[in-house]
Amino acid sequence: MTDNAAAVAAKPPAAKGGSRGLNVAIGACAVLAVLGIVLWVVQLSGGMIQTAMRNLDSWGLYITLFMFFVGLSAGGLIISSVPKAFGIRGFGGISKVAVMSSIAATVAAIAFVVVDLGQPVRMWELFAYSNLGSPLMWDIIVLMTYLILSCVYLWAQVRNERGKVSHTALRVISVVALVCAVLVHSVTAWIFGLQQSHEMWHTALLGPWFVSSALVCGTGLVLVIAIALSKAGYLSVERANLVKLAKLLGAFLMVDLYFFGCDLLTEAFPAAGGVAIVEMLTSGPLAPFFWGEIVLSVAAAVICFVPSLRTNPLMALAGVAAILAILCKRVQLLVGGFQVPNIEWPAIMTPSTITNWQGNLEQAYAGLVYWPTPLEFGVALGVIALAVGIFLLGIKMLPLKPAPGED
Amino acid sequence: MTRYGMAIDVRRCMGCNACTVACKVANDVPEGVFWTRVLTRGGDAPDAPAGENPAVSMSYYTLGCQHCENPACVKVCPVGATYRDEATGIVRQDYDKCIGCRMCMSACPYTGVRSFNWEEPGYAMDFALGDADIAPHQKHVVEKCTFCYQRIARGETPACMDLCPARARFWGDLDDPESEVSQAIKGREYQHLLPEQGTSPSVYYLV
Repeated sequence: MTDNAAAVAAKPPAAKGGSRGLNVAIGACAVLAVLGIVLWVVQLSGGMIQTAMRNLDSWGLYITLFMFFVGLSAGGLIISSVPKAFGIRGFGGISKVAVMSSIAATVAAIAFVVVDLGQPVRMWELFAYSNLGSPLMWDIIVLMTYLILSCVYLWAQVRNERGKVSHTALRVISVVALVCAVLVHSVTAWIFGLQQSHEMWHTALLGPWFVSSALVCGTGLVLVIAIALSKAGYLSVERANLVKLAKLLGAFLMVDLYFFGCDLLTEAFPAAGGVAIVEMLTSGPLAPFFWGEIVLSVAAAVICFVPSLRTNPLMALAGVAAILAILCKRVQLLVGGFQVPNIEWPAIMTPSTITNWQGNLEQAYAGLVYWPTPLEFGVALGVIALAVGIFLLGIKMLPLKPAPGED
Repeated sequence: MTRYGMAIDVRRCMGCNACTVACKVANDVPEGVFWTRVLTRGGDAPDAPAGENPAVSMSYYTLGCQHCENPACVKVCPVGATYRDEATGIVRQDYDKCIGCRMCMSACPYTGVRSFNWEEPGYAMDFALGDADIAPHQKHVVEKCTFCYQRIARGETPACMDLCPARARFWGDLDDPESEVSQAIKGREYQHLLPEQGTSPSVYYLV
């Protein structure tokens, strides 16, 4: 990334044609995306038995990353729309780049749902036979709206700079986009949180918590992108604005950790079923992801809050740490949801029962109940490459540089 | 209204798996898939009791779809591929409609009653078994116990009823007080699985 960025810096006129480094990066993304599609075809033709997902752990890496990318899409749109919606000072010209990152992340989120489907050719049924009572249906509707709205919002900003769209219209769009952004995270949370069958997920806190986690990794992403693009000479962001972003990231991290604490306390305090979940997180199979999230979050927050640590490389590191912390959170949520079965009485086990089916049920749940296969990693890499490619194409082709005097 | 249901006498069930096999044959259930299974309540392996000899205890719970009155799976299916048949109270699954998102598997509290065909369904026999009028099994869709919908449509009972040597299963219309199942439940102490989930299952365990 930095190499590419340096290459961009060497040949500044990235807006027109872009530099060689950028083109190479886009090409690499295209190759990986095509490879991902090939692996997806392999998955569909040979069967999803090639993934590690099984009946008792029926979702895996794809849905983990779906949650993760929905979260990542938050930052851009919110960082960009909040200042416009409330008429306050922005973060110095990163608004359009930030929205571009939202668009790319939303595409990845939708793609992760698609690759998870057993029958993707039947996707049209979602629109023909919509069950409007299903949280998954809500999410599909809101995600689509969100993607379209992000594109419209980006277009409106560009047109506004050329005096074609009024400030009032832009402000209205930014308010609608903001509401939609909050909705998209809540609805994603409800896919999980409305299932009474998984004690770990079934909490009213999950909606707000998804919003806060999204703000953490989204702001982290915008911070990393802003620093990287400044270094590449694509745009120049004042240090004060980066510091403002970092402080915001620190605040979001605190809120997210606070929600985490609330949830753990509520699970553990009755000393009943919830204790199993807290133990699974703190000392069980998911402990690396639990402590990983805590350590990364705290480290990122320290960088954000200690003035002497707020150098550009360290702030970028804080952004990366925040993103990884939320990835750890997503793994905990998804795998953790399947790690504690409601009925654990032993019965016949077959290759389709559970990932580690060869032993007994106790052995299957002893370690992580699920770990992805190389095929799943390959498909996921393809989807991520698609998103990065879309973002880089946006940088190359679209007028995303700050307009003179933009804040 | 008819609301089909089943009562299973846990004190009679001896875990012989005759119902498991009857179900598999009647519905030509693919390899590695079981619509009804025998769960051992006791030790940590099938047929293993809890405790130390001689103070051991063990019982069997046969588990299939609970055909809930308030099914968690039906609410979450984005395309209505899983639905509750109001005329019979049976929770059904339309393979042709299922998009394979597996939301129902996640939402169902009864661990493992729904299964996904993770590959092209395979069979032990070269020819089809069971009833001629079952819906063909499909790759990459979710399936589960149908209460042998094809058989009850003909006025028969589900296949798992037929072979039970202990006569541990009772079948019929829960809304009809004279039905076999209602009579079996009457006066007996019974249990629903995971009642705290609020799903109101149509399967009663007589304990």
